Amino acid sequence: MTTLAQEFSKGILKENPVFRLLLGMCPVLAVSITAVNGFGMGVAALFVLLCSNIVISLFKGFIPARVRIPAYILIIATFVTIVDMVLNAYASGLHEALGIFIPLIVVNCVILGRAEAFARKNTLSRSIIDALGMGIGFTLSLTFLGIIRELFGAGSIFNIEVMGAAFQPMMLLATAPGAFITLGIMLGLFNLIFKRLGIE
Amino acid sequence: MRDGLRMALTLLIIGALCGGLLSVVNNVTTPIIEARAAAAFQEAMGRFFPEVYKVDEEEIDGEKFYICYDAAGNFIGVVGQVKAAGYGGHINYNLAVNAAADIIGIRIGSHEETPGIGDVIEKEPFQSRIIGLNFADPISAGVDVDATSGATVTTGGMINSIRRVMNVMGENFLGMEVEKAEIDMSTVADGTYTGTGRGFKSDITVEVTVSGGQITEIAVVSHDDSAGFIDRAIDGTPAAIIAAQSLEVDVVSGASMSSWGIINAVFDALK
Repeated sequence: MTTLAQEFSKGILKENPVFRLLLGMCPVLAVSITAVNGFGMGVAALFVLLCSNIVISLFKGFIPARVRIPAYILIIATFVTIVDMVLNAYASGLHEALGIFIPLIVVNCVILGRAEAFARKNTLSRSIIDALGMGIGFTLSLTFLGIIRELFGAGSIFNIEVMGAAFQPMMLLATAPGAFITLGIMLGLFNLIFKRLGIE
Repeated sequence: MRDGLRMALTLLIIGALCGGLLSVVNNVTTPIIEARAAAAFQEAMGRFFPEVYKVDEEEIDGEKFYICYDAAGNFIGVVGQVKAAGYGGHINYNLAVNAAADIIGIRIGSHEETPGIGDVIEKEPFQSRIIGLNFADPISAGVDVDATSGATVTTGGMINSIRRVMNVMGENFLGMEVEKAEIDMSTVADGTYTGTGRGFKSDITVEVTVSGGQITEIAVVSHDDSAGFIDRAIDGTPAAIIAAQSLEVDVVSGASMSSWGIINAVFDALK
């Protein structure tokens, strides 16, 4: 039985949803253009993941196995809609920047994946830890990708100009092909690092 | 049966709980969202017309026009919430025109133009080229306004759209006469005429044959538009013009810019 600390850290490194499990790629590629957007999407997904894991773990005894998928989608969609409404009201800039990718959190594989693979079979406290670990791992990965793409694609990090006036930004990184290329390079790098560290 | 009932009941309860939670959050957030939208609207109008006191709304062809009046009830100008055909899709923008039919402001809203290329429309010098133009000016790419080299589709599309919006505003709100694209065939002698009109990417040249007082043939001689679009326009628009013997034809949906190019080219040939 893994310890609580291990349960938490696996989401950040060993089973990082973006770089190891390769889940939820759609928002990863589309939203990581700037660091702020990546971070904002990560936090929104973290909140939904946490809430849905809690609810699904709490009610795991009550939801018959054969209707679990529609039930999970209902629950996840509710939390996503709440996030959408709250962002629209209190963080309209981020809401507009994330646009259609907020509703798309419903079908983000990280969330349904964790519900199906973990929350319905584990205790409430473990599910919470798992959600936190996966969510923070997702957020960190998105923010990291966002920093790289923003730094080389626009010369800034979190909207602060870093590279100076003489810097010619790589326009490619602001577009979809650039996202794929950056992600691919990062994946290769991470695989290399993990291999060297002996983690599998 | 028992199982089915249990499943249905579970989903029903979950649905009801979710619905309840959603309506609570909705009630809390909706007033905030509406207040913010109203404030943003006020600010947008005020940015163009600081003296604005009252705004009337009118919708023409799916686009909204906000007619602004000052505190004394005088008409001070119109702000149009309009669209242009850009390179990547629609460009939503606001165009503000004062009572003297001068463009006093343009603000680009959402668009799908390529970052670093098409988004020149949001920056200088494009913005300064537009502000100050009057209804009486041609407002045509290459004539009195330069398109931006390297982003000609985006900037050309914007300029075309601004001309169109000016015409709509002029006709509806500013009391202007708009030159209708209409031909009096009785004044056109038989023969072959050449004309050019602005298509999606650049000019379209047509050869129009008039015989017996009727337009008998329209041939598109040169164009630079994308195959899928210009083909559909060529398929539909010349035939429509010949059938109606008039330029008041519907444009081909999805290839409207190319269709307009052909119509304008025929007008140019026969006028």
